[in-house]
Amino acid sequence: MNDLARRLVTIAFEERGADHLLLMAERHGNVGPVMVEKGQDPGDARVDVPYQLVNILSNLIPFMGKAKVAIVCRRCDERALAELAKRGIVDDASIVKIGLACTKEQVERCRCSDCVPSRVDIGEPAEPCPDDTLASELSSMGTEERSAFWMRQFRKCNKCFGCTLNCPVCFCDDCVLEERTYTPEQGIPPGPAFHLIRSFHLADKCVECGECERSCPADIPLLTLRKMVNRDMRDLFGYTAGDRERRSPLLTTLDDQPLEDDGHAC
Amino acid sequence: MARVGVFICHCGHNIASTVNVEEVVEFAKGLPGVAYAGHNLYSCSEEGLGSIKRSIAENRLDRVVVAACTPRTHEPLFRRACEQAGINKYLFEFVNIREHCSWIHTKEPREATEKAKKLVAMGVAKAALLEPQTEGESAVLPAAVVIGGGVSGLAAAASLVDQGIETHLVEASDRLGGLLAEVTTIGPEGTDARETVRGIVTRLEASPKAHIHLRSRVAEVKGFVGNFEVTVRGCDGDLKVPAGAIVVATGTKELVPTGEYGFGQRPEVVTQLELERRLARGERPRRVVFINCVGSRQPGREYCSRVCCNVTLKNALALAKASPDSRIHVIHRDIMSSGTAAERLYKEASESGVKFLRYGLERVPEVVAGRDGVEVLVYDETLEETVHLGADLVVLAVPMVPPGDSEATAKLLKVPRDKFGFFLEAHVKLRPVEFATDGVFICGSARWPVSARECIWQGMAAAAKASIPIKEGKVVIQAITAEVDPDKCAACGNCVLACPYEAIEVVERDGRRAAKVNEAQCKGCGTCVAACHNDAVSQKGFTSGQLSAMVDALVKAALEVPR
Amino acid sequence: MTEFSPTILAFCCNWCSYAGADLAGVNRLQMPPNVHVIRVMCSASVKPEYVFKAISQGIDGVLVLGCHIGDCHYLTGNHRTAKRIPVAKKILRDAGIDDRRVRLDWVSAAEGEKFQQVITEFVGEVKALGPNPLREVRM
Repeated sequence: MNDLARRLVTIAFEERGADHLLLMAERHGNVGPVMVEKGQDPGDARVDVPYQLVNILSNLIPFMGKAKVAIVCRRCDERALAELAKRGIVDDASIVKIGLACTKEQVERCRCSDCVPSRVDIGEPAEPCPDDTLASELSSMGTEERSAFWMRQFRKCNKCFGCTLNCPVCFCDDCVLEERTYTPEQGIPPGPAFHLIRSFHLADKCVECGECERSCPADIPLLTLRKMVNRDMRDLFGYTAGDRERRSPLLTTLDDQPLEDDGHAC
Repeated sequence: MARVGVFICHCGHNIASTVNVEEVVEFAKGLPGVAYAGHNLYSCSEEGLGSIKRSIAENRLDRVVVAACTPRTHEPLFRRACEQAGINKYLFEFVNIREHCSWIHTKEPREATEKAKKLVAMGVAKAALLEPQTEGESAVLPAAVVIGGGVSGLAAAASLVDQGIETHLVEASDRLGGLLAEVTTIGPEGTDARETVRGIVTRLEASPKAHIHLRSRVAEVKGFVGNFEVTVRGCDGDLKVPAGAIVVATGTKELVPTGEYGFGQRPEVVTQLELERRLARGERPRRVVFINCVGSRQPGREYCSRVCCNVTLKNALALAKASPDSRIHVIHRDIMSSGTAAERLYKEASESGVKFLRYGLERVPEVVAGRDGVEVLVYDETLEETVHLGADLVVLAVPMVPPGDSEATAKLLKVPRDKFGFFLEAHVKLRPVEFATDGVFICGSARWPVSARECIWQGMAAAAKASIPIKEGKVVIQAITAEVDPDKCAACGNCVLACPYEAIEVVERDGRRAAKVNEAQCKGCGTCVAACHNDAVSQKGFTSGQLSAMVDALVKAALEVPR
Repeated sequence: MTEFSPTILAFCCNWCSYAGADLAGVNRLQMPPNVHVIRVMCSASVKPEYVFKAISQGIDGVLVLGCHIGDCHYLTGNHRTAKRIPVAKKILRDAGIDDRRVRLDWVSAAEGEKFQQVITEFVGEVKALGPNPLREVRM
């Protein structure tokens, strides 16, 4: 148990009254998600390894009953939890968020613009990144050039579903993209509809954790595409995912969530 | 494996003169799932329907596609024919190749024919995936609620109790009669307004089936056609009234002028209703100027309020006759006195000394201080001169407008309003006294300014319509409602937020949370369907599989041919 | 080489735009034969998935026609349409697909002429854009 683990265990069980602690730790030479109860040794806590703990938590929820789980939470994790809580998929009362500030390197790798959790328990807050250079380049390209870029990227996709499986806000057990309804192509790669539909489903919930991009074996810059769509949501509705109180503009009426240009034809 | 029958209609020469029907039939024969393709001169005729039914039997068809006019008229007819031939009526698909094809591409017969083929391919693709459906039934509570105790509400309530239906009449003020209770006579015949109201009220009060709630409002409406729960809030608390139908008769109020012609500053300037009150008190001002169309028939409120001209005429006539030296003027922008009685009234008013002057919106009259009383300056369009009229009273004929709480009422009942705030009926001609929302009906000026007589007719009509589900005891629920596959549902609540009718909710079943549709509340709009990410909720008759198959069929027919 | 004639899909809602299309037909208002209508009960039931699917599979243009805001037969159904389709268009644009291939408009049951106008305009615009490049993309 390294110092960090000791610190986390203290926060979780002594200070915040949790029943379990979920964290990334190294045990027996392997680094992976670990869940411990009070008194158990989690191994050496690791925060330098990117991993979607929120995803693990979501999968454990059906088995947790009323137990309180403390989870090591980056800013994106916190926002992901807010999106899930909004939908009744996780229960705020059962979760204790231990705020982890990402390092400068981590922030740069994610091109992250919102990197400090609301409460910092571990780590030193770093400066956010101004923007995603690839996203900016793509936005200023002409349509044909941009299309050529993305079609080249999409062609690499082999429908491994790493992006959906590891995404913290992707909550369907059976992903509709596994069916042929909207993506009737035989074999791989799936047509562009796969990525367009995924982008739409995530439009009101993506917290830019970057897990999709990290999981992609074909190195498709999925996080960049997410950021471009999130920027559109900000432009259209002034909406950013991760806000516990704000409902998705895609589901509410124009009175609740007006369009910037008042919902006329487009 | 589906056996689809395709029937292309000539519709006389409406379709056949542009679309090559035989070519479309040949094309249809080659479509996947098609076991038979034929054509008819008039599919909707006895002969056409008979031929379809025979083909169904002879070819053991289990799905039917008719390519003809528009489903909005003849879908029920063909559905019935399918049923008669032993096929579930929801295994039928209508393809529009007339309004959407032959009639709009008359100069391009080749292209129209190709388009018809594609539309048929799309229809067949959907039909092959249709599922049989059973229409549900919902029992109807044998009671009605009428909201509003004005003359239209009274007429509706009286009609309902005449039919033996328990009726609750809810009126916000402390007396019945609405606007009529404040006027003297009803034009153009001059019937006594209070007598009219009293007549209907007496009938109502005599019936044990009538329950009148004064000083009461409808605070909440839950439920759906046949099964409403209406919370009536009176001085002594809330009463929950179960009802099968609701009639909206909330009426209108007079527009309050915002300072036009000195209203509010000069005591001599009043509205028509105020004049009625004075007339009721026996007052007969000698010099009166009526200004018509104050606040109506102009930008922002373009409508004509129907009754004001007749009211002005009857009041002007009464005042003119009251004294030999009365001086009555009517300043107008057209006199809308339709029908013989009203036209006679106009003539009589004119012959009794009422003077009519026409003004235009570009130069409206002005009311200024006079030697005694006020002076009305009006630029008469006919004389092309400004005329000065001395007046003891200036009466503004203002339009009827929706009452301040019409928005709240609309939200309560989930019914739409037009741009002026009046309620919107289901269909101007075919369903004039009902809302699109089943079980809720509309009559009187709440829909559109109408005369007292029209209010009564509409009240009776609404009551007649409202009594139908109550007398039948049940309503049929169209099988185009949403349904949830609980195994796919992630209970994310998207559908719940999206539904305009609160007809879907997340419930716990067998230890699992999933969405559930209230079949009777669901209107079959499909908003929830588009909100669902993984097709856990789908709409019967419009599933994503069916609509996607239509897209695939179009792609195949249009793009996978050598160009 | 024949002139490009686009293939366009239109989703029309039963109460307003489909009825408006019928009215256009009844009045014999002529328009280009490129548009194929799929009838739905409400424009709010049009899943952006269909739009992405259609474009992805090579359809040149997609029209979504609903009731005017405030007039939806299902009260506020079209409010969601009003917000979903612009998002779908932005996603298309981000991916490099010309978002002018998708159009959202409101046509009431009484607006036969507007239907004719929207169809004619949209066909013209899509024609000018040329065939959907995704037709040629062999993934």
